[in-house]
Amino acid sequence: MMPATATERGAPLLEIEDLRVAVRGRTELEVLRGLSLRIWPGETLAVVGESGCGKSITSLSVMGLLPEALQQIGGQLRFAGTILPTGDNAAMRKVRGRRIGMVFQEPMSALNPVIRIGDQVAEVILEHEDISRAAAMERVVELLAQVGLPDPARLAHEYPHRLSGGQRQRVVIAMALACRPELLIADEPTTALDVTVQAQIMRLLKQLQKDLGIAILLITHNLGLVAQTADRVAVMYAGRAVEEADTITLFSAPRHPYTQGLLRATPRPGGRREGQLPLVEIPGMVPSIRQLFPGCRFEPRCTHASAVCRSIDPPSHTEGATRVQCHHPISTLEALS
Amino acid sequence: MTSLRRPFPWKFLITRLVHAVFTVLGIAIVAFLLLQLAPGDAAQALAGESGTADAEYLASLRAQMGLDRPIYEQLGAFLMRILRFDLGYSFRYGTDVASLIFSRMPATLLLMVSSILIALVGGLFFGITAARHVNRLPDRLISIFALLFYATPPFWIGLMMILIFSVQLGWAPTGGMINIVAGHTGFAAVLDIAHHLVLPALVQAFFYFAIYTRLVRTGMLEVLNLEYIRVARAKGISENRIAYRHALQNAVLPLVTVVGTNVGTILGGAVLTETVFSWPGVGRLMFDALFQRDLNLLLSILVISSIFVVIANLVVDLLYCVINPTVELR
Repeated sequence: MMPATATERGAPLLEIEDLRVAVRGRTELEVLRGLSLRIWPGETLAVVGESGCGKSITSLSVMGLLPEALQQIGGQLRFAGTILPTGDNAAMRKVRGRRIGMVFQEPMSALNPVIRIGDQVAEVILEHEDISRAAAMERVVELLAQVGLPDPARLAHEYPHRLSGGQRQRVVIAMALACRPELLIADEPTTALDVTVQAQIMRLLKQLQKDLGIAILLITHNLGLVAQTADRVAVMYAGRAVEEADTITLFSAPRHPYTQGLLRATPRPGGRREGQLPLVEIPGMVPSIRQLFPGCRFEPRCTHASAVCRSIDPPSHTEGATRVQCHHPISTLEALS
Repeated sequence: MTSLRRPFPWKFLITRLVHAVFTVLGIAIVAFLLLQLAPGDAAQALAGESGTADAEYLASLRAQMGLDRPIYEQLGAFLMRILRFDLGYSFRYGTDVASLIFSRMPATLLLMVSSILIALVGGLFFGITAARHVNRLPDRLISIFALLFYATPPFWIGLMMILIFSVQLGWAPTGGMINIVAGHTGFAAVLDIAHHLVLPALVQAFFYFAIYTRLVRTGMLEVLNLEYIRVARAKGISENRIAYRHALQNAVLPLVTVVGTNVGTILGGAVLTETVFSWPGVGRLMFDALFQRDLNLLLSILVISSIFVVIANLVVDLLYCVINPTVELR
């Protein structure tokens, strides 16, 4: 199935344009260096990349929850056609939890240990909607049932320490979806969980996406998870989206050498029998934000690099269904071989 | 998942109460033996004041007070009295110890409870405010004042406040608890006591306030960086609610411990303040008893104090599991 082009899909739900985030007071130290991403309503966009490439900072920027030490110095975030007032905490509070929900990585520490689960979920509803406490609690019980928790009416009165990690992540998902947001940001939602529980949580997220029609921004470094759940993928490297394509295209024909490197470093079941090469790691490390150089950030680790890569940071351009930032993108034929 | 409401921890409570009895008896024995080491006794103190120190008079005084008997006999008699809740007789004041202490108790309780309450309200508010504006101006100011109050001796603050507010401005009385001359009754008497209470309560509160503010600030700073606070922000919860509903309850456990200790030392904790403001409390009674070698009185106050400490500790432990549901009492 060929992916629909931008015009066929209508307006994107979230549009991140040339987003720049830097260390507060030291604007030359950029954590996000002109990141551009788009998510359309109802789709799942996976953002992948190594640790430290700016994935989580991206999600925190969208929520307007950047840590004190960081500051947005450029770019724009548009949500459902209007600019997100990320610098205005009071205005962002009306967006957070109501129009954009967020699920974090660590379910064990995401719930307040001294507040009953039901109250923690109800809090979101009471904050954003003009509704009685009793009605909110009814909604909470429905929500807890919807995320697949057993005996929800009873569970609502429990404290978090009585729940397992998987159950807590379900509660966190219930909190994030309590006000039926249009976008759910899931930042490594299954990384801290057992493998079997990971699959359950992802299945739950996909099911809820189908039922509620929400878009999901899935942040992960697990390519297997991406292949199973995402409609489109953005590969991030050193604060930029170096390649963006639909999942099938990206996995079958990666254009950026970094994407290719990531895929080669990922095991596939039965890959050995089918003559897959042994796993290859990408040499070197993500450059520190303190290393300032004019060229492509991937150049020191890249096997395709040339002189131009060292001097000019590659701009973004579209090749077929893929948006890629590279001077020497891998041709489709080369990628398939 | 078992029951929702945890059953009241009766077993814990009974065990702790049994322990408490032995703890108090142990403290009584240690206190008794320690006081034997102090030079001089009540007979000498009395004789010294009356100016006659001849051996016969001393011996008759000692025989009257039971001081001539061997120490183990005195200790045995003392412990037997405590077990019967009989605190004995103060030869110094010529009245029984129990009624002496209990006549002084309300003044001390009033002073200490009001100062701890003032300190709690102030400490919570300023501690939270400091933590929410960490390293910015409000935090800097609050931290400096907390440090000043912590480092300045309460009796000095007391003297300065008397100088300024009583002597110079004439806003408050210099000491005492009641204006005897005026002979107020009813509501006027309550106002009169409140008027006398303001300065000593504030002075005593300053010290606690400094400790509480620092504790709350530290605790809040730790909690405000935790993941569930970020989650709460991502839910769109207001900063006020995050501070007071989400963070505070997780940050107050150290405060509860320290307040518990302060409540435990409620009887003797305000000796200096009571002395500076001539407040007729138990602290001063104890102070005087020490110098007059009134061992019966002193020991009784010590034993009652230790009972306060034990009860305060027990209450703190019970409060712990109310505040933090993950705490299990065993």
